[in-house]
Amino acid sequence: MNNERNGRRALLNAVDTVTQPLIAVLISFLLGAVVILVIGKNPLLAYGEMIRGAFGKQVYLMNTLKRATPIIMGGLAVCVAWRSGYEAMGGEGQMILGAMAAALAGYYLPGPAMLRIPAALLAAAVAGALYSVLSGWLFEKFDVTFVISTLMLNYIANYFAAFLCNYPLRDPEANVYQMQNAQTGKLPPEATLPPIMKGWVHWGFVLAVLAVILTWFLFRKTSFGFKSRMGGLNPRFALYGGVNARRMLYLVMILSGVMAGLGGAFESLGSKGRYVDQMIFSTGYAWTGMVAALLANMNPLGTLAASILLAGLAVGGSTMMLNMDIPLEVCNIIEGIITLFMSARMIRIASGNIRRRRQAKGGGEA
Amino acid sequence: MTYLAQVINSTIREITPILLVALCAGVCSKVQVFNIALEGTLLMSAFFAFLTHYFLRNIFLSVAVAMAVAMCMTLVMSTFIVRLKGQPMIVGMALNTFARGFTTFLLSVIFHTKGAVNPSDLKGLTKLELPGIRNIPFLSTMFSSLTIIDYLAFVLAVVMFVVMYRTVIGFRLRALGINKSAAGSLGVNVPRYQIVATTLSGSMIGLAGCLLTLGRNAMFIQDISGARGYVALAANNLCKGHPLGAILSSALFGFTTALAQSLQGTAIRQQLLQCIPYISTIAAMAFYNVYAKAKAKRQA
Amino acid sequence: MIFQMKHITKTYDNVVANDDVSLHLNEGEILSIVGENGAGKSTIMKILYGLERPDSGEIIVGGRPQRFHNPSDAMAVGIGMVQQHFMLFEQMTVTENIVFKNELKKGLFMDMDRAVETVRQLSERYGLKIDPRARIADCPVGLRQRVEILKILYQNAEIIIFDEPSAVLTPLEVEALLETLRGLAKAGKSIVLITHKLQEVMAVSDRVYVMRQGRVVAERMAADTDMEELAMLMVGHPLASYEIDPPKPGPVLLETKSLSLTENGRRVLSDISLHVNAGEIVGIAGVSGNGQSELIRCITGLEKSTGGQVLVGGKDVTNRSVRAIRDAGLAHISEDRYVWGSAPEGTLEENTLMVRQDEAPFSKKGIVNQRAIRDYAARLIREFNVKASSPVQKMRELSGGNAQKLIVAREMSLDTPVLICCEPTRGIDIGAMEAIHRRMLQRREQGSAILLVSSELTEVMSLSDRIYVIFEGRLVGEFARGSMDDKHLGLLMVGGTINHE
Repeated sequence: MNNERNGRRALLNAVDTVTQPLIAVLISFLLGAVVILVIGKNPLLAYGEMIRGAFGKQVYLMNTLKRATPIIMGGLAVCVAWRSGYEAMGGEGQMILGAMAAALAGYYLPGPAMLRIPAALLAAAVAGALYSVLSGWLFEKFDVTFVISTLMLNYIANYFAAFLCNYPLRDPEANVYQMQNAQTGKLPPEATLPPIMKGWVHWGFVLAVLAVILTWFLFRKTSFGFKSRMGGLNPRFALYGGVNARRMLYLVMILSGVMAGLGGAFESLGSKGRYVDQMIFSTGYAWTGMVAALLANMNPLGTLAASILLAGLAVGGSTMMLNMDIPLEVCNIIEGIITLFMSARMIRIASGNIRRRRQAKGGGEA
Repeated sequence: MTYLAQVINSTIREITPILLVALCAGVCSKVQVFNIALEGTLLMSAFFAFLTHYFLRNIFLSVAVAMAVAMCMTLVMSTFIVRLKGQPMIVGMALNTFARGFTTFLLSVIFHTKGAVNPSDLKGLTKLELPGIRNIPFLSTMFSSLTIIDYLAFVLAVVMFVVMYRTVIGFRLRALGINKSAAGSLGVNVPRYQIVATTLSGSMIGLAGCLLTLGRNAMFIQDISGARGYVALAANNLCKGHPLGAILSSALFGFTTALAQSLQGTAIRQQLLQCIPYISTIAAMAFYNVYAKAKAKRQA
Repeated sequence: MIFQMKHITKTYDNVVANDDVSLHLNEGEILSIVGENGAGKSTIMKILYGLERPDSGEIIVGGRPQRFHNPSDAMAVGIGMVQQHFMLFEQMTVTENIVFKNELKKGLFMDMDRAVETVRQLSERYGLKIDPRARIADCPVGLRQRVEILKILYQNAEIIIFDEPSAVLTPLEVEALLETLRGLAKAGKSIVLITHKLQEVMAVSDRVYVMRQGRVVAERMAADTDMEELAMLMVGHPLASYEIDPPKPGPVLLETKSLSLTENGRRVLSDISLHVNAGEIVGIAGVSGNGQSELIRCITGLEKSTGGQVLVGGKDVTNRSVRAIRDAGLAHISEDRYVWGSAPEGTLEENTLMVRQDEAPFSKKGIVNQRAIRDYAARLIREFNVKASSPVQKMRELSGGNAQKLIVAREMSLDTPVLICCEPTRGIDIGAMEAIHRRMLQRREQGSAILLVSSELTEVMSLSDRIYVIFEGRLVGEFARGSMDDKHLGLLMVGGTINHE
């Protein structure tokens, strides 16, 4: 009796974790289709274009993976922080500073690729971590909630980076009259992340996958993972069990910041080859990463998969825009709706309702 | 002197949208619905105010549509949080992402641009001239080209105070925010109160949206809300949801923004100036918390 | 007969909470329902108050069958309930709390003056003294309960249910409460009192139902019965008493020296000096809220004390980290199993691992050994008879008693010289309670120093070798086993003094 009930509960849970994302995705694509219909296009064709443009050819697939790289890292940053109970949303700011730090270190430091790339990555990790620790410090010392501090810090980072690449660190070779975003100097080949092989995505993606595995390992196989999870589930219990909450806060903030910072570095060292004004802010990598982490319920492996799918959505969306003249932002709409429907525990609530109704009915008859 | 009057004038104009949003945030926080969708709601209502005005050339209708859109967004927000037990932060971010995508999408479908739309033949909200100050240069500069909604914002702050602290409905809302299960045990339908209250208060965000797109000339720029929703959230956090306190805390942010604007063209670069309001938000909250702690200690 | 419940049955999942329960209430009488925790008395009253719906059975109020969907339905026919956990708006005034939902209005506005006046009249009529303008946050527990009662009277309830009303009160407040109950009955209200405290039952009730394991096992007129009979009926067998050998105290293992705590300028603990020797159970008796929780938090490192010292095993651990204090040889069964003692959303495995996460064999150099952890959890579950289906099920799926057993298992298995037990048996059934008590006595035999904090005086008195009495953050007395009876202890617990002649 007991076993059977547990089995059923486990099954229900499994169904819950799988079907919820599926339903959310389905609803959002349906609503997206409505939007596409309204502007007089064929949604099936559009989605076809989208899928083809994301995964249809090696080039497209590589584009998707390239775009997925910073999203994965942003997602991991969220996984690490939120799983420990710190609902920080500072990935964007940390990513911006990471991208900037890597671009500068790569541009101004001398030396061969063997040294320059690690140095640039290190600079990004440090920049991201420091910025993340700043919000942790504001929380610990001054009770400034993460929501507000991180949101504000995101804007500050973006403006600060804009200042840097517009003025003191502007690309010396830039044409002043060119109408384009300001940027820092172009990184030499020794300082860029090369493609894995010709026509493939850059090494940043591989590093991101490694980070996913590392995070998974950290969560599942280490006492740090255990402590952070307990802190997230019940901070008082963790305190009572002898977990040093302060140390955990800063460790988690550092780790989360490193992830985001590296995400920025992969983008500037791998994709752009420099820091371009608004390159993180306008693409919303960090937010997409957050959505991915959420879709995966803070599971690193799931975050990887979700990030690739969401990146595909955006990359395919560009193809759709080019070929069918549908604005790319359909993807943001879809992303928003997926997130919205993922937030609600719909299945559980629905099944609970059904059960209660059945019970009530049974009670009435008895 | 004129410079000072100008700074005050632009401060007022920066205050009012934030104040209106903060008033809505105040109601939401009083009934324990954590609303971070303020930003997206503001953006959506600003866009639809502009859109309605662009096509129908009717200012009243534009305001009405903006309020309706804001209420819809808030309704979705509170329904997902209250009824479907969505995590508030995630619901809010989802709506913000949606709003950003949706407005930009329509912008490019309708106006074929992703930047700014600034039709020169379209007039904004009617400016209200206060009688009797025309001949006093300082005051007339100070209060120049303010719309009726600007004045209304301050009136609404007082109205909201009266509603929340003097009327039966406000009493119930505050009470159920303090202890949901106590209110529920007396047979009050708590979720319904929460949803209705937040949705109605959402209309104030609609007014704020009108100020953004129709406050001076009619225009829309991508992401015109520019984090004002978040700033209002912080402002509300500072005044602990008190409508009159919201005037003060919004004034702080309005002033720093106006200050940053007025320093443009000086030696300090624009991008650094733009950081000021955000930095001062964090600083204000940190100071306030330290002060409140010290005060609690002194009192005891 | 003002109400009647016929053949009520209610099951949760597969636990029968009420099994064919029938009872009735006469007008103007005080009816008691007694029974152990988990006997189903709260469930039956929740059904009557519309908080739960029965699987089958009938409720008849005022001669008509009723179907309650929520408390409002029950209130509409004149049933009110004073719940064990008060339902009050802390930051609001007494009047505001009482009039909520039935406010006195002037148009859209609150008519506060008239409301205050109405509350004043109400309080005078029933002799429930209260300041209508006081804030709840400033009211002591007894007054808060009075507010709850007034709230129900304000709604013109004719039937008033009290759920364990004395659980949170000081003995003096209990006296006042019993007086109130009599007064209400005299004023024509019908009262249902749910409790497991038999003195109170005998003091006020006209009639008594005894419940056990979800059934009504007896109905008695109060005049025709006594406490012994009721106790027998409640438990179903004569009460077990523990055979305790005289203590063989060893060295002092836990000691506090003038431990003090000042919170926001308020002195919560003053000069607490106590010691617990090896092989000894030392109890702290007191009405809850007199500083027990803070004392334990200061000893265990969950809160920083502002003066004095804590020594564990002779080592000064004052204001050290929880980890350092635990490492010095202390384990701690916390007072609230879901607030401090466990992560309800975590698995049993995770909940048993806590505290030992950095110890071999569970983890080496930060890498955990999943197999060792699972074996350990399975072992504790088996050894302490925790009824669980799997080590990976969630903590919150366990019943209260089993969850408590798991926490006790975890802390006792740490095998520390010092063991702190706070409310180790609160809200759990007799079987689990006895099991936990036996474990504690076993540890005492093995030479542990045990500090026991409990709001159940009988628990403290039956287990402790020595008892400290705490009142308003100070120790006001210390007694060896047998040298003091519960009357004197009770007096000290409320700040009274004993005349030594």
